Amino acid sequence: MTRYKSLIFVLIAAVVGAAWCGFAKAGPLDDLIAGAKKEGMIEFYGPSTLGPEGAQALSVGFNKKYGQNIKLGFTPSGNMTRDTAKVIGLSASGQPPEWDIMVVTDAHHGSLWLRKLHKSFDYTQLGVARERIEYDNGAVSVANQFALPAYNKKILPAKDVPKKWEDLLDAKWKGKLGVINSTHHFARLAAGPWGEEKTTAFVRKLAEQKPILSRAGEMTQRLILGEVLISATLQDSQLHEAAETGAPLAFADAIQPVVSPEYNVGVLKGAPHPNVGTLFTAFMASAEVQPIWKKYTGHTSAHVPGTDAYKFAQGKQVVYMKQDQAKLIDKLTRDYGKILGFDN
Amino acid sequence: MKSETRAVATSFGGEGLAYIGRQGTSLFAVGLAAFLLILIGVPVAMVVLMSLRTGFPGETVPYTLENFSEVYLNPGTYQILLNTLFFAVATVGVALVFTVPLVWILMRTDIPFKKTIYVLLTIGILIPVFLRTIAWILLLSPRIGLINKWLQSLFTLDTPPFNLYSLAGMAFVQGVSFVPGAFFMLAAAYRSMDPSLEEAAYTAGVGKLRTFLKINIPITWPAIAAVMVYLFMTALAVFEVPAIIGLPARILVLSSLIYNSTTPSTGLPNYGIAGAYGAIMLVLGLVFAYLYVRLVKQGKKYTVITGRGYRPREIALGQWKWPALAFVFFYLAIEVLIPFLVLLWASVLPYLQLPSQSAFSSITLKHYVDIPLRVGARPFINTFILMFAVPTLTMILSVLVSWVVIRTQVSFRGWLDTLAFVPHAVPGILMAVGLAYLGLAYRDYFPLYGTVLIIVLAHTINWIAYGTRTTNSVMIQVHRELEEAGRVAGASTAKVLRKIVLPLIAAGVLNSWIWIGLLSYREVTMALTLYTRHNVVVSTVVWQFWGSGWVPEVSALGVILILFAAIVVSTVRVLLSRVGEIGGAS
Repeated sequence: MTRYKSLIFVLIAAVVGAAWCGFAKAGPLDDLIAGAKKEGMIEFYGPSTLGPEGAQALSVGFNKKYGQNIKLGFTPSGNMTRDTAKVIGLSASGQPPEWDIMVVTDAHHGSLWLRKLHKSFDYTQLGVARERIEYDNGAVSVANQFALPAYNKKILPAKDVPKKWEDLLDAKWKGKLGVINSTHHFARLAAGPWGEEKTTAFVRKLAEQKPILSRAGEMTQRLILGEVLISATLQDSQLHEAAETGAPLAFADAIQPVVSPEYNVGVLKGAPHPNVGTLFTAFMASAEVQPIWKKYTGHTSAHVPGTDAYKFAQGKQVVYMKQDQAKLIDKLTRDYGKILGFDN
Repeated sequence: MKSETRAVATSFGGEGLAYIGRQGTSLFAVGLAAFLLILIGVPVAMVVLMSLRTGFPGETVPYTLENFSEVYLNPGTYQILLNTLFFAVATVGVALVFTVPLVWILMRTDIPFKKTIYVLLTIGILIPVFLRTIAWILLLSPRIGLINKWLQSLFTLDTPPFNLYSLAGMAFVQGVSFVPGAFFMLAAAYRSMDPSLEEAAYTAGVGKLRTFLKINIPITWPAIAAVMVYLFMTALAVFEVPAIIGLPARILVLSSLIYNSTTPSTGLPNYGIAGAYGAIMLVLGLVFAYLYVRLVKQGKKYTVITGRGYRPREIALGQWKWPALAFVFFYLAIEVLIPFLVLLWASVLPYLQLPSQSAFSSITLKHYVDIPLRVGARPFINTFILMFAVPTLTMILSVLVSWVVIRTQVSFRGWLDTLAFVPHAVPGILMAVGLAYLGLAYRDYFPLYGTVLIIVLAHTINWIAYGTRTTNSVMIQVHRELEEAGRVAGASTAKVLRKIVLPLIAAGVLNSWIWIGLLSYREVTMALTLYTRHNVVVSTVVWQFWGSGWVPEVSALGVILILFAAIVVSTVRVLLSRVGEIGGAS
């Protein structure tokens, strides 16, 4: 009888234990789903290249995956820097953010992280791979950009295409070179493989080339028109858009290391719809998002096997930003802006 | 005896009424000054506060002079200040070289095609400055400029004759873009000039050019000076041309530094540094405000509309008609035609390229079809609200301020005029940041952040200076004797203002109303600073498209807006010509 009782006790304990484990695993997801249903909507800030159609496609995918009927309000990025500052300003004045989640670059998330403006969550509980989580559980990597020197294939002969970064310092490019205001590309090299001394010397020599300075969108036009022969860096988003229109722009892709700013997504502290935000952030790390993101922005994640970015990064030295580099990159970006002539 | 008593009573009653009238006027002026002081002073105070703090609007940080030491201990700042002054002076010069003859030709002579010219001039201001700048890059860039290439091959030159990437190039593009604004400001003054002065010169055998130089320009000098002051201050603050032409060649001016400080490529904006740079503009603005007040005080010398013989009459150009037409159409070509053609060309291409056979074969209307999907209705609705509310509020305030300043003996009228000019001394971006700060930090008391009303407010404050410059210069031209005649006839102050002053200045006011509406339509800096997803306007959409490198898309939007504007402006011209002219240009 005692043995029988013991068996029943063990069985009950096993059932309760299993149920508890199951509850512990499914709990956060169920809670989020239930909470999201009540909230009913999400304010989503993302790159303008995603467009309303891309945002709508994400919304459909999200609702299908989690059985929701969430309404998505999309704010296309006009200026990530200003909008990040707006979030900081709102927080400083005790106001809630306008958006629940923001898809901005890792550098911008760094600014938010330094001011503790993320709503942290252990996204591994929702199946997100550890290597895609940054900023103390505040943000998740969605996709990678790549930045390299770019040129117009119709104008620049193949033999003149630079093979290494130092080729940009050749005197023949003086006055024909362009530099975009994303000087953080060089700052990332400085915080990473090149170190500060080498990068700063490189930037100084680049400034001596009297490059034409402009923003990335404008530089694309100047390259297309032939006013600039090579842009010292350009992002693949510009090349993707150019390719869609048939504009003959290309990367000097023999050059390494390749700089890779990332699009991260994170829930903002004080977000009006935190449950939908958290669930959507986890969704953004899922495999379903990659084809949508690729279709509308041209980017995929270098951390997801099989994607274009993953393939592009194979065999290359790729420079990713880490959260402990945020302060240094911010400082050097300003310094390099001054050296190149963007600032006083 | 009875009649004597009545005479004394009437005399006493008249003095009493006059006394009450003076007191009423003073009270009204005090109320108006207090209202303006709050309206303008609070955002300006926020800007000053900003320059004395580091961090972000809303953050609690101690006061510091750190921003000033960083800016003013840097020797580079002084070179940039020189660049800024040269750019501003040259821009004003270019603008006046075109504006003054244009105004004279269109307002004082019998040149043909006036309606068409006026409509084209109005349309010119609707073409975004940065799109015009692209057009000039395509024409005058040392590497790809078509004009440079043609001249080089024509005269076998080794180097391109023009370099757009210079201070002179910047001033040229900016100066040309200022012409319609200056035109609107000067138009009413020229239209209202008494022709008897010119006729006297002609009777004396003086030629048209000499009359223009010796009569017209001196007579309208207060208005020209006001325009110069206004343009100079605007040139200090504009950032589109400095960003697109100056920055690539490392030519920095104050506005580009402020823009870079508030809109860095990465990291976060430094509002404190922007405030410290803005302080130079603020000081310059106040100095110029003082100069302007001095000019206004001398206005009596230049009164040319009187109760006697006020009858505008056009001057027959005779054989000068064709050179005058050539001048006008040369200007319209560089202001409207070439930029519009460039826009049209860019809008039908998959990507921006110079004319070639392959470019012609790739022509598409895709960008026009895509506009509704990309833009939506909200920006148009918000823009319509701006275009109606901003000029209405601005002109109501401007007329009231000018009336007190020019037409009353209120002791602080000079101070009131200076106050109305202060917004122009503050760069728009700083004013907008001040309002944003106010909206963010004191949301409970100022619940406008994120609404289109905060942009309406920013624009209204910003253009009070413009509005009052126009209404001042028009009121200066109306002699007091007309109002005195009204008062002698027993009309109250309000009635004199409504029945005599307003009809006489209506043309100028209406011109400014239209012009401010158009300025509000195309203004981008303040709208961007105050932009949220709920108060997006057309100009912010255009700027976003441009920032994303969507030149064909933004060109298509530009073409549609220009065509729409052409229809609206033409219709308004036709309708108004039936009830009275706008500045008499038709």
